[in-house]
Amino acid sequence: MSWEILWRHTGRGVIFVALCGLTFVVCFPLVWALSTSLKPKSEIFATPPTLVPKAPTFENYAALVTGRPQYFQSGGQQVDTGATPAQFFTRWFLNSLLVTLGSTVISIVVSTLAAYSLTRFRYWGRTFVPYFSLLGYMVPSIIFVFPLFLMMVRLELTDTLLSLVLGYVSITLPFCMWLMWAFMRSIPIEIEEAALVDGATRLQVFRDVVLPTALPGIIAAAIFAMIVSWNDYLFGRVFLNSLDNLTLTVGVMLFFEGTHVDWGLLMAACVLMTVPMASLFMGLQRHLVAGFGAGAVKG
Amino acid sequence: MDVSLEVINKSFGSVRVLKDVSLKFPSRKFVTLLGPSGCGKTTLLRMIAGLETVDSGIIRFGEKVVNRLAPRDRNIAMVFQSYALYPQMSVGQNLAYGLRVRGTPKEARAAAVERVARILEIEHLLDRRPAQLSGGQRQRVALGRAMVRKPDIFLMDEPLSNLDARLRITMRAELRRFHLDLGATTVYVTHDQLEAMTMSDHVAVMNGGIVQQFGSPAEVYGRPANLFVAGFIGSPPMNLIHGAVELENGAPTFASEHARVSLRHLANRVHAGQRVVLGARPQDLRLVPSAAEGNAHGRVWVVELVGSEKLVDVDLGDKRRLTVQVRADAPVLEDEAVHVGIDPHDVHVFDAETAQRVSGRESAVPPFPGSEPLGRREHFRPIATSWRD
Amino acid sequence: MATRFRRFTLSDQAVGVLFMVPFVLTALFFMVYPIVEAVRMAFFSYNPLRPDLSAFVGLSNFSYIFDDQLFWTSFWQATVWTGFSIVFQTLFGVAIALLLHQALPGIAIFRGLLLFPYIVPTVVIALIWRWIFNPEIGVVNYALLASGVISERIYWLSTPEMAMASTIMLNVWKYTPFVVICVLARLQSVPLELYDAAKVDGAGVIRRFADVTLPQLKEVLIVVVVFRTIWTFNKFEEIYLLTKGGPGTSTFNLAVYAFEQSIANLKLGVGAATGVIMMIMLSVGSVIYLRSAGFAREEGHG
Repeated sequence: MSWEILWRHTGRGVIFVALCGLTFVVCFPLVWALSTSLKPKSEIFATPPTLVPKAPTFENYAALVTGRPQYFQSGGQQVDTGATPAQFFTRWFLNSLLVTLGSTVISIVVSTLAAYSLTRFRYWGRTFVPYFSLLGYMVPSIIFVFPLFLMMVRLELTDTLLSLVLGYVSITLPFCMWLMWAFMRSIPIEIEEAALVDGATRLQVFRDVVLPTALPGIIAAAIFAMIVSWNDYLFGRVFLNSLDNLTLTVGVMLFFEGTHVDWGLLMAACVLMTVPMASLFMGLQRHLVAGFGAGAVKG
Repeated sequence: MDVSLEVINKSFGSVRVLKDVSLKFPSRKFVTLLGPSGCGKTTLLRMIAGLETVDSGIIRFGEKVVNRLAPRDRNIAMVFQSYALYPQMSVGQNLAYGLRVRGTPKEARAAAVERVARILEIEHLLDRRPAQLSGGQRQRVALGRAMVRKPDIFLMDEPLSNLDARLRITMRAELRRFHLDLGATTVYVTHDQLEAMTMSDHVAVMNGGIVQQFGSPAEVYGRPANLFVAGFIGSPPMNLIHGAVELENGAPTFASEHARVSLRHLANRVHAGQRVVLGARPQDLRLVPSAAEGNAHGRVWVVELVGSEKLVDVDLGDKRRLTVQVRADAPVLEDEAVHVGIDPHDVHVFDAETAQRVSGRESAVPPFPGSEPLGRREHFRPIATSWRD
Repeated sequence: MATRFRRFTLSDQAVGVLFMVPFVLTALFFMVYPIVEAVRMAFFSYNPLRPDLSAFVGLSNFSYIFDDQLFWTSFWQATVWTGFSIVFQTLFGVAIALLLHQALPGIAIFRGLLLFPYIVPTVVIALIWRWIFNPEIGVVNYALLASGVISERIYWLSTPEMAMASTIMLNVWKYTPFVVICVLARLQSVPLELYDAAKVDGAGVIRRFADVTLPQLKEVLIVVVVFRTIWTFNKFEEIYLLTKGGPGTSTFNLAVYAFEQSIANLKLGVGAATGVIMMIMLSVGSVIYLRSAGFAREEGHG
């Protein structure tokens, strides 16, 4: 019994401490990356390693953003590494952005329209399609990659951003479809009927009544699609070749292939790669709850 | 604009929801479709609105056949059970929506919205969202949406069922008034017979997809066409006693184990040996002092005081009970032995097999009522305090 | 519901059909076609650099796979990897969910932060992992050595066992939040009266957890475990980006095997055949999932 009393008084404190510790462990990798990225080269390899940089510098970020060629120390001399990947960073960032936005827009539009049709009209396949989509979602992307690559070869689209957009559609559309379908189902049909009686055509009903109400679901699906597209490596690796066209994920891995790894630069790149999605996620978190709540709980 | 429904049939899958329904609603009248859940009344309403297809039969507004018309082309307005206000739009935008999709210019829209808001006293709510309104306010916005467009036909699907009891009572009168001001033909769906009685010009009582009776409130109350209507209308419900017709001194008499009532005045309508059900409303029964005057005898099972009246449940034996309504100050005690007096002219007799009314000339559904006078001024009690509370 | 067809408005049915068309087309080309093609390619030998030489080879791709020791090793390693990952994800997931299921002020911040790993690109976390687990200059080894927990450097990514452990750790780090979300959602729907009734009946904290909480969690855990197992078994990036399947082939799983066969060995047919095998296993897993989800639904959940 005394445990109970002890718990009642200290329980909250214990939990709080546990949560703090947990959060530290979970966030440590990124925190450490951030810390490394702000350190000058001399401090990165210093022992003992410090969490907070003693002499913080933005040179790594500057290098990435401006595409300045990088130097590194080698035997007390500054050696130019030539055309290092850092020069392409902004280009890659833009590529990732374009591809992500493109595939997200396509997936959202297609799945929202289809979800509306499936839930408001009666025809064969109206329950088959969403479940089929869910199955499609569960197929690992490694199975999609090579057939799609061959398709791109035939269409002569290899090494283009468009091929990536299409590839990403294939992996984001299934789940978006499932999510939008589940969400549309939960929108009461009476509102649309009221609009129909009020004199609206189907298209007007869709535009004025359904879309605004479906917004939380759309946002949730969009966040999902964007995260998947932005984070992907496999498709980029298989579809793309030339340095110009790489996406962030594929390009940054290249940093690592070289003989000399500039850790500070690499960590800065990692941070910059994570920031967009993280801020998007944090900013729209509350919409996610509404969207996912009505949709896939088990997804 | 009158509404005619001619031999309407509808099935959902293998379930027949409406069976050969034919009704005519006279122009500018308030008609209620009344019945228990699943009787088809909402389906019928939605078919008038154009939200459900008609399997067979014709729906006319005036002379025009409307079966194939989309809701937007029917010039109707509808209030849904949940009001169905557009959640992302303000009240003002909700009201204006119907005009907006028809291309009405901005100034005309604003003027119409203002006029309606003033009448319904919701001007101060125009900028709010539906989620911020109370139930009663939402309903008024729903009514406003209908009013703004000046429809020919106004449909309501159980609009009061989401309100609390007190609000319901005030809203009944307001809806009736609203109908009169609007000047449209109103079709109202409800399962609450009290609403039907207080607000309607005509009532269509439905059960199992079939119209049981179509008439004025007075008619369905005072001359129920069959057992279903008799038991459904009226609160507390009509007492129903099963028995048979016997000959007593040559005159037909209703006889059951526990009650005997003379049916002399119905001599030409019943025959000896016919199994019948006798109906008598609690308001038409009395407690009489002596056994000689009484048609049934028993013991008081429970007395319920309902304000201005008392409802006395009399146990006749074998769990058969009669509910008798007496004055509030009548001295009745539980477990007391009493005698119930039944006036032969106040009873309703139904054939046990067909469930149809035996007395009176009304059968279940005249094909196209509306031009018929509202029933003879026969001997029936004036609609007294029974269903007004 | 038909409408009069007017010049500028579409009939109702037309709208319904029109809205479906984009999806049907997209799905056919980018969902159905790839899967069908993947299955078809499993029966061909296909060298991406010499497409003209591709030929139908029947089941020989499959026999090649079944004869290949590396395949079976990959299979076994995938199982080990999946098994450990799932166990840890579930244990941590439930524990964290329980922690988060408190009405502490600022709990929302914790929830946000602890969901973070899910959104981080695998590339990023793999690279950071390589940095902090670097044997010479990584901070983890430094901390462990300095605090005396270990006396010698651990070669996190260069020995088979440690590489496997590292990939498991990464997987657990990245996907435990998913378990947390699901369990937390379920926890939040457990009616509080159950706990009150248990307290009145005299149950202590542990009893309440065992008799009230766990049964409620049972269904969602089954679903989550099955789902995560299917997913984890087929994961590619988490392993490849960290170890490239190495050292050697000690962290190969089926996805990595398929990738290497296709890209390194230029045997697209074999890669596709591996994919087919993965899909078969996926189907088996899905059936289990559907059964258990159906079971969960019957019990009145979701």
